[in-house]
Parts: sequence; C-alpha cells; structure tokens
Amino acid sequence: MAFDLSAIGSQFLVGLSRSMILFIVTAGLSFVLGVLRVPNIAHGSLYMIGAFSAFSITKLVPGAEGFWLALVLAPLVVAAVSFIAERALFCHLYQREHLMLLLFTFALSLILGDLVKITWGAEYKSIMAPKLFDGSVSIFGASIPKYNFFLLLIGPLVAVGLWLFTSKTKLGKIARAAAVDREMVGAVGINVSWVFAFAFVFGCFMAGLGGALMAPTISITLGMDHNLIIEGFLIVTIGGLGNMWGALVGSLIFGLTQAFGVLFWPQFAIVFPYTAVVIVLLLRPRGILKSVW
Amino acid sequence: MSKSKFSGIVLFGLVVTLSLVTLPGLSEARNIKVGIVDTYSGPPAVYGNDALNGFKLALEEINKQGVLGGKIEFTTRDEKFKVDVALAMAKELVMRENVDLLVGTINSGASLAISDGVAKAEKVPFIVWTAKDEKITGELGHRYVFSTAENTAMAGKAGGVGLAKKPYKKYWIAGDDYSYGHAIADAAWRNLKALKPDVEKIGESWWKIGEPDLVPYLTSISAAKPDAVIFCTGGASMTNCLKALKATGFAAKIPSWIHTAIDHAVLKPLGAEAPENVTGTIQYLFYYPETPENKAFVQAFEKAYGNPPGFPAFNAYITAQLIAEAYKKAGKIDKEKFIDAIEGLKVKGPTGSMVEMRACDHQAVYPMYFGTTKKHPQQDYVIATDILTLSGNEVMPTCDEVLKTRKK
Repeated sequence: MAFDLSAIGSQFLVGLSRSMILFIVTAGLSFVLGVLRVPNIAHGSLYMIGAFSAFSITKLVPGAEGFWLALVLAPLVVAAVSFIAERALFCHLYQREHLMLLLFTFALSLILGDLVKITWGAEYKSIMAPKLFDGSVSIFGASIPKYNFFLLLIGPLVAVGLWLFTSKTKLGKIARAAAVDREMVGAVGINVSWVFAFAFVFGCFMAGLGGALMAPTISITLGMDHNLIIEGFLIVTIGGLGNMWGALVGSLIFGLTQAFGVLFWPQFAIVFPYTAVVIVLLLRPRGILKSVW
Repeated sequence: MSKSKFSGIVLFGLVVTLSLVTLPGLSEARNIKVGIVDTYSGPPAVYGNDALNGFKLALEEINKQGVLGGKIEFTTRDEKFKVDVALAMAKELVMRENVDLLVGTINSGASLAISDGVAKAEKVPFIVWTAKDEKITGELGHRYVFSTAENTAMAGKAGGVGLAKKPYKKYWIAGDDYSYGHAIADAAWRNLKALKPDVEKIGESWWKIGEPDLVPYLTSISAAKPDAVIFCTGGASMTNCLKALKATGFAAKIPSWIHTAIDHAVLKPLGAEAPENVTGTIQYLFYYPETPENKAFVQAFEKAYGNPPGFPAFNAYITAQLIAEAYKKAGKIDKEKFIDAIEGLKVKGPTGSMVEMRACDHQAVYPMYFGTTKKHPQQDYVIATDILTLSGNEVMPTCDEVLKTRKK
C-alpha cells in the first residue's frame, strides 16, 4: 500500500488533535502527581463526570449556548466534586505511602463510577457540537472534522494558560515550589493544606475540561474513565512524573504514534503507542523531561 | 393393641393415602420455574432490561391461560457481565431454586460457561437469548443448549448476502479487536466472497474495545479509497464509530455496513448526530414490517414500559412462546421431554412471521432486515429505510455447516 504525503499530513493533524485532549487531561493528572504526590486513579472518573455534566448542561440549555456553557460549567462541577473529596478525604491521607494512595484512589474511582450510574443511569449519552463545528474540512485530500481543528486551537491555548499560571502568578509559583519541596513552602509560612487543596481542585478541573471537550466526539458512557486513565498514567510516566510539559510531550508521542500506527500497520495499530512507551522508558527510565519525584 | 396405638396407625394410613391421592395432582399443576441470569447493572443493563420486559409481556399473555394447569414464573439474577458470577448464579438457580430451565444472558463468555458447566453437566435446558457468539449453538453446541439470539454467523451471513447485492468490489474491514468483531468480520467476508468471488479485501484495521477516538482510523481508511467498508463493532464503540462516521463526512462518501447499526437503541440517543447512508442488519425493528401483529406488540410494550421494544425484547418474547408451547407439547414438566418437544417447534413471532427452533443445532431461525440509515421525516432521529428482508434460511448457515464445526 502506497502512502502519499496527503495521507501522512491528515494523519498528523488528527493525531495532533487527539494529543491535545490527552494533554489537557494528563496535565491535570501530572499537576496533582507533582504537587501532591498522589497517583490519582480517580482522575479518569472526574473526566467521566465532566463529560456527563456536559451532557446534562446541554440538555438544560439546548443549542450552541449550551455547549459553550458546558465547557465552562462542567469543569466547575468536577472542581466542586473534587473539592469535597479533597477536604473530606484526601487532606488526611497525603502522608500515606503511595501504594495506599493508589488503592484509595482506585476505590474512589469505583465509588464515583457508581455515583455516575446512580445519577445518570447506565445508558449511553451523546451530545452535539455546535452547528459551527458541523461537518468536516477537506485537507490533504482527507476529511477532518471541524471539531478537531477546534481542539487543535484549544490545546495550545490551555498550554499557554498553564504556563502563564504556573510561572507568572504567585499561586502558581507556590504550587510549583510545593512540588519540588513542600517542607520549605510550609517553612516560609504558607498554608500548605490550602495550597494542596487548590492544586488538587485545579488538576481535577482540567480532567473535567477534558471530559467536556471530548464529549461531543464520543459516546458518554460508564467505563470511559478506565479507558483514559491507563493511557493517562503512561503519558505522565514517559513525560516525566509531575512535569506538565512532560505531559505535553507524552501526549504528543502517544497521539501521534497511534495515528501513524493506524496508517502504516492498521492490523496492529493498538501496539504502536505502547511500543513507543516501552522504547522511551528503556532509554529514559525516569521519563523524557525532568521528573519532580 | 392399645387404643392410642391403633388410632396412630389409622392416622398414618390416612396421611399416606391422602398424600398418594393429592400429591401427584399437586405436582401436575405446579408452576414452571424459569431461572434468568442476565446483566442488570452497567451499560449492558439496557439490553438485559429490554429482554426482561419482552419476557414479562409474553408471560402476561401466556399465564392468562396457563401451561399444564400452572403458570410460568421466573426469578432473575444479575451476573454483572462477569463469567464467574454468571456461572455461580446459574448453579445456585439449579441446585437451590430447582428451576426447570435456565435463560440468559448477554455475555457470550458467561453463556458458554453456563452451557458447559451447568446445562450440559446437570442436564438442564438453557436458552441463550442475547449473546451472539456462534460457538454457543455451533462448535460448542449440545443437547441442552438453545439460542433465540441471532449469532455472529447469521449476522455475518446476512451482511454478506446483503452486500453481495451491491456493486462494490474493493472492501476494507475494520472493527473492535476482540472475538465479536473478528467473528462478524470472518462470517461476513466468507459469505460475501462465496457469493461474489470478484470482491477484493484491500486492508484491515482493528482498534481496542471502547476506543474513544476513531477519527485517525477513518482518515487512514479513506486514504486507501475502498468502495465500501465492513465495520465490525458493537457496544460503546458502535456509538463512537457512528459519531466519527458523521463528523468526518466518511458516511456520505464511502458506503459502510455495520451489523446492528440500524438498531433503534443505538440510533435514538444519537438523535440528529447519527449518520445517514450507513447500512446495517438486525432481526427486529419496531416500525417494520408494519403488520397488525407487530403494531399490537409495539403498542402493548410501549403501554407497559414507556418505550418501544428492541431486539432483546423480541428475542425474549419468542423465548417465552417457545417455552410455553414446548411444555404444552411435552405434556408434563420434564427436562428431557421439554427438549424433545422444543426441537423443530414453530411459533408465531411478534411480527407475525414464523420462528422455528431448528432441531439440528438448537438455533432459532427468523428473518433479518437489511436497511440503510436515513433521517426520520418527522422525528429528530435516524431510522432504517430501503429495508430488504432476508429470509431465515438465507441468513442461516446450513445444518451441515454447523454440525461440521462440532465434529472438529
């Protein structure tokens, strides 16, 4: 089978748009990992809650307004859920060892999964992107959904926003400092507990945003959390634990190897991103960028 | 002999005589107990509940007259889509609840496990009503297992027969990388190739189950420029696939066939987002054929449960009819007699067409519908149009073909 440049170009674009979603979700995961040292398996469940909340909001407010409102409100719903979880549960557990936290967040993900089922039911849900993103654009001879271009735009915006936040604002700087040395942050008189609460809620907000952004392209269903969280952990691991730019690099590797794998060897496309993970970890066991762990 | 001893003997004699007279009568008039193992939690619960509703609706009618002087009663167990749970529950239903037969489930793995571990081992009839693995009544079939579900061999053959009537030559095959996806693909391709030898497969792609983003797959398939694509997907991936087919404009450009793509349970939640121009196959549509029987069935179902019946309800309805008729024919509640009676039994299905429980492999035979999606003129969702009815015999593998797989 011949591969023309147009096919490669279009695969590159769709891979890139997939990477953007992965980045938005894993940036939050990585942030929580970095600042709180919590391997939050429930991050996937929060992503799922983001998608389900987006569904409810678009049901209440139909049309394009509903979609835009969902992009703002759904992550806030997730932030609220995570704030309750942090103040009630997580804040007592930060000192525990990682295995305990892993088990705890796994249990939490099961509980959240059941809560989603009780709230929204077991049926598939689906929401529509606004008319603006209806249809596809022909580029490099392939049709790419307009919505994917929107994701290509949102991804860099989020990245720039994160950079501005973590390097230009005081709160961001404190959070970054806490990631490197939490005792020192406490020693200079900052209320670490609230920094942690903020960092956790912020990371979960990103999960909710990812869920809301992804919602129009997929079926919103129970189980979507498990699909994502495994990929999410692989991405933050190859990028460098706790490093947000590592999440970007990891997402690009994952999204692009998947897209090109599909093109070059479609029968075994599933293997490609995982092979890339293995290769990266063999060459750089601590991830591509500097791990804060 | 003292007086009290004498009266004791008389009393004992009376009890024995009474029980001899009354017990056989009681046992003749007892209820038939059906044990249902199915998924009632998680996403597959939609299908489990639809099937249960179809079964209940059929029993309402059946129990008005009764069967062998009693009624058909049932008890359900939620197997949570887990093979080990399903197996344990089926055993419990047989050992403790003493059910006369087992019915279920949507999970192919669970159905195969119950078929081998309980039905065959304990000699209890087991009717599979939703799981689609062709091995259930094919390679791993036996005297005690039956299926009223359409299976992957039938689905694939229906797709092959339907597609052979279309002018496409160059095909691409894509789907979920697990047994269901591959089984449908194999059956569809085998039958299409047999009916139309000049078709050519130019490539395949397989994604993991539940893969959320299928756009990269679709763009790479469209780069290969096939005449048509056979998609072998189900469950959550089905919705993802349909959404991506619409969003990329793929559906408008390249014809595709996906088994059950015309299922209302799949299309309705998608609303206007469902793509047009996708061809699918299914054994039941609540709006086709427009026979008086089907209209009455849909009306009764909607009145009872608030929504139209799906294919699991159809499968379960005919399951109940087959059970009732088989017991009537058998004349008594006996597992072996029931099996002899149900083999080759014909009942009138909810659409008015006849359904036969084929004696050779214990697979229910009924027609399949092959249609293409199109927006409903009044409603905000997509339905199947240009429907082609493929007869039961057209879509069924022959007895010889099935029995050959058992000898292997």
